[in-house]
Order: sequence, then structure tokens, then C-alpha cells
Amino acid sequence: MAKKKPARVGRYKILGELGRGAMGIVYKAEDPNLDRVVALKTILLSDDAEGRKDYHKRFFLEAKAAGKLTHPHIVTTYDFGEEDDLAYLAMELLEGDDLRTRIKEGPLAIADAVDIAQQVADGLGFAHERGVVHRDIKPGNIMLLPRGQAKIMDFGIARMRSADFKTSTGIVMGTPRFMSPEQVAGDPVDHRSDIFSLGVVLYEMLTGTGLFAGEDTPQIAHNVTHVEHVPPSRLNPDVPSMLDFAVARALKKDPAVRYQDAYEFAVDLRTCLAELRSRETTAKKDASGTRTLKIDGTTDRAPLAPAARSIASDTQLPLSRQFDSFAAVQRLAAQNRRDRKLLGAAPRPVGFLRRVSLDAGPRLLFLTSLVAAAAGVWVALG
Amino acid sequence: MANATNGTTTALASVVFLKMHEFARRPVTEQARLRAQLEAVVAVTAAELEPASRIVLDAADGAAVAVLRDPLGALRLAERALSAATAGLPLSVGINHGAVQLAGAGKGDEGLAGDGIAVAANVAEFAGPSALLISRAFRDALANVRPGIEAQMLTAGTFTDAGLRTHELFAPDHLAVRRRRRRYAALSVAAAIALVGAGVGARIATEGQERFLDRLAAKYRDTAQQGKSYVQELVGKVKF
Repeated sequence: MAKKKPARVGRYKILGELGRGAMGIVYKAEDPNLDRVVALKTILLSDDAEGRKDYHKRFFLEAKAAGKLTHPHIVTTYDFGEEDDLAYLAMELLEGDDLRTRIKEGPLAIADAVDIAQQVADGLGFAHERGVVHRDIKPGNIMLLPRGQAKIMDFGIARMRSADFKTSTGIVMGTPRFMSPEQVAGDPVDHRSDIFSLGVVLYEMLTGTGLFAGEDTPQIAHNVTHVEHVPPSRLNPDVPSMLDFAVARALKKDPAVRYQDAYEFAVDLRTCLAELRSRETTAKKDASGTRTLKIDGTTDRAPLAPAARSIASDTQLPLSRQFDSFAAVQRLAAQNRRDRKLLGAAPRPVGFLRRVSLDAGPRLLFLTSLVAAAAGVWVALG
Repeated sequence: MANATNGTTTALASVVFLKMHEFARRPVTEQARLRAQLEAVVAVTAAELEPASRIVLDAADGAAVAVLRDPLGALRLAERALSAATAGLPLSVGINHGAVQLAGAGKGDEGLAGDGIAVAANVAEFAGPSALLISRAFRDALANVRPGIEAQMLTAGTFTDAGLRTHELFAPDHLAVRRRRRRYAALSVAAAIALVGAGVGARIATEGQERFLDRLAAKYRDTAQQGKSYVQELVGKVKF
């Protein structure tokens, strides 16, 4: 990493440092040709000639693809190039904070969180349509502008990172906690991986808790691959159930049952947002007259409700909150002698006497045979 | 036998798993609508069961109802829920009879776990839309409470789940009961003819065919004569 601020990088005049990351330094710079101030992201290139060649090729491919993305919710890349040991990207300079900083400041309003996620989903949809996958969607790569606009940063840069981790199947690029299960496994990823990552970001915004958090990378990787999330409404009772469904679909471990399109996710989020806005309006109206109280059964953490295909014998299904099962649960918990005998009794095979006495068909056959046999004996003996 | 092991209580129950088909792939607005519809269906169908014999559980793509000591009630619930599929609720239903266990620390996280639920979920996975499949264990439980009802359940095949466990599954066919009744009626007639015929055969063997036929003819004549005089007597008693 460069130790002192260079006066120029390429044709860009460096005005100051904006921040430092895993890949390099981000400068505030001026493009003298266009008299435009830009954010100049520099990436330190590898010393190894072979690695550098490969790196160089990938960087230009990705940067070219990212440069084609002009969308209100994607940070625009103006230019890219290479000078000495540095590759650089000149990008739109934005004033605002990234989402990571915003989350650290305190919980987001649910409507704001959904609004941000919906904007990001729109941006992702646009990029995916053009064949560009981000691979590193996380709060740190989402920029929030003062008027509430969200922009995705670092498109195409995830592949340039040097701080990636290795799995048994290869090098994995991205931030483990926000990665999709296929990305963690080192399998090929497509646009659905970004949808999963956005699901994790949305979850974090809604609940304020880090989903799949773990002590180390293998632990996180295990959580991403195997641990099912607790529906956000169980951690934050203000989250509408419709949002639970949207999050659950984005966080499906199997990409085939996840949202297949970021636009589809965005549409669902817009629907949720409309519901939230209408709630806010109703609440405001109620504030001026009668009050509406939300009756919440319990805010305790409750177990997740897994889908049929992932239910194993040790999987617990939670009691439904819509139905009162107290009497039966009590009956199970405190069984009397009769229940102990009856509830545990395995079905016995139906014997001859039970069959003849309770089953109409065999009973008819048995009685007819009995009468016919008596008649036969009477005829025979005379 | 129900038992309490390590502070948890296990029992055998009939678990009806109501799975909404392709639920995860639907837009959230539709998911919310379907969920509300499913809750309404469960409310109506579960109301027929004693509150002390049913436990309603949530699943991500449906619901499960564990029915204690009432396999017939569980079957009725499943069939009634399935009929709601005609109202636009894409349900697949699986029923199993197996072990369930109370789980959770009693801090709002109570639930049920156990093989009874896991197999019911698998069975529901195998059932197509608007279809009901039952496991062999549930068929045996049904037969135990009402012998003969198992005849309604026709083999649907053997299925292997993701854990490579095979399940022999059955599907209800109400016409099968009528067919079975007819079969038993025909069998009864055949048995009656065979047994009476055997008696006749034995008699012929002991006294010879000619003598048997003579005695039979004489008996027929006597009976006919007696009948005739009885009818005449009866006619004489009637005044026109």
C-alpha cells in the first residue's frame, strides 16, 4: 500500500485521501480534462509477474463491464487504468455515509431499511441484466446519500481482492458473513448469490443482529451453509409478516428456490414498503383520534419454522401462535396413568376376533360360512 | 409406551402435514394471502377435534397438526383441508403416525420434534398438488381403531427421501370400500354354496345317489302336499 500521498495517479490530480480498504486507498481526485472531482480507487498490483498478468486481465475485464453500468442506484465508474504498481478506477464522488456506518449509529426504521434494500435490488437487477454480478454485496458497499438514495459501490471489484479466503474447492472472493452458501462452498456463483447477500444485509437492517455471525471464518461458513435464520418478525415485532416471506425467499440455501431475479425481489420489497407506509399513515391518523394498540403475544425469541424439505427428526416445529394448543401440550407434558398407557401404545396388528367383530366384509363372510356350514352338516347327517 | 426421558415427554401421534405447494417461489403478497387462507382452513378443520387432542405447529411452507389418539380425526382433518384446495389453496397433505416429543425450554419457544413430524413432512413433499398420501404407520394406526378402513388406502408406491430412507405410501380411494364389500359378498355366496354342496356330497356318499334323490323327492312331495293343504285351509278361512 502506498505510504505517502502521490501527487497524481494517471491523469488525475490527487486532492486528498477519502479512506483505506483491503485493496488500496481511495482518493479524492480531480480530472483535469473534464474539470470534475472524482473518487479514485487504487488497487495495489501483485509483484509476481505471472499473477500480475492474470490480475491485470481480470481487472480490465471487470472494470470494463462495471463501466457500462449507469443506473441511479449504482455508483458510476468513469474511467480506469494502470500506473506503475497501481490499478485505479475513477468513480462518481458521493457525499454520504456507507450503510455499515449507518447501522452502527443505531437501528434503522423498518420502512427505511426496506427502501434501501429495494433500491439496491433495483440496481442489482440492472447489473444482472447486463451480465455483471457484484459478488460482494455488504453494508460497506452500499452508499447512502443525504436524501435517502442508496448506491451500490465497487461493482466488479470483488474479484480483485487479495484478502479472500480459501476453501477445499478453491479461493473464495467476498465477505464470508454476507456470502451465499454456494459462494462459501467455492462453487460457481451467479446473480442469485447477490440476492442472498442482499437478503443478509436486509436482515441485519431489520433486526440489528448479524446473521450467520461466528467466531472465525470456518464457523461463519458453516452457519451460512447450514443454519436457518429466525424470521425477522420474531426478533423485531414491528416487522410485517410479508417481509418475513421476502427475507425467507431471498435467504433460501438452494439458489433454485431463491428469488431468481433481483427485480422480483425489488417488486416484493416495494409491496412491503407500500404496506409499511400505509401503516404509518394509519398510525398518524390514529394519533390524532383513537389509538390503535398492537397486541403482541410475546417478543421472546421463538424457534424458526423450517420448510417441509428440511425437516429432520431432530428439527423442532414451533407451536403456532394463531391456535391455542395449550390443553394438548399440557396433556403431553403431564400425562396421567391412562394417557401414559394410551399415548404411547403402538398400533397392534388386527387379530381374527377383532377383524370378524369389527370389519363388515370378513364378518359377512364368517357368518355366511358359519350358517352354510351348519346347513351342510344338517344335510349330511340328516 | 409414552415415556419421560431427560425431562422430555414422547408419545405417538398422527401428524397431518399441510404443505403449500411451491410456496417459496410465490410473490410475497400471494404468500401472505395463502398463509391467511391456510390458517382459516386449519381453524375450521381443527375445530372438529378436541382441544386436548390437537397441537397446531407452524412450518415455513405450511402447517402441521399433531393429533393425539385419534387417527380417524386426523384423516378427516386432512381430507377436509384438502377439499379447501378447490378454493385456490394449493395444498399437498402427508400423514404419518409416529413419535413426537415436546421440545423447547418453555420460554415462548415450545414446539414439537420427532420422527412423526419428519416423516409427515417427507410424505407431504412426495404428494403432488391437491393430493393426500399416508404412511404405512398411519395406515396401521387407522386399521387398529377401525379394522377394514385400511382397505380404502391403495398403494401409491415406495418413495425414497433425501436421507435415502424409503417410505411405503398409500393414497385413499373411497370406491375401494364398495369394491371390497362386493368381493366379500361374492365370496360369501361362493362359500355358502360350497359348504352346503359339501354336505350334500357327503350325504350322497353315505346313502347312494338314487336313495338320496328318492328321499329328496319324497320330502319335496310331502312338503308340497303340506303346503297345498295349508293354503287351502287358509283360503277356506277367508270370507269374500
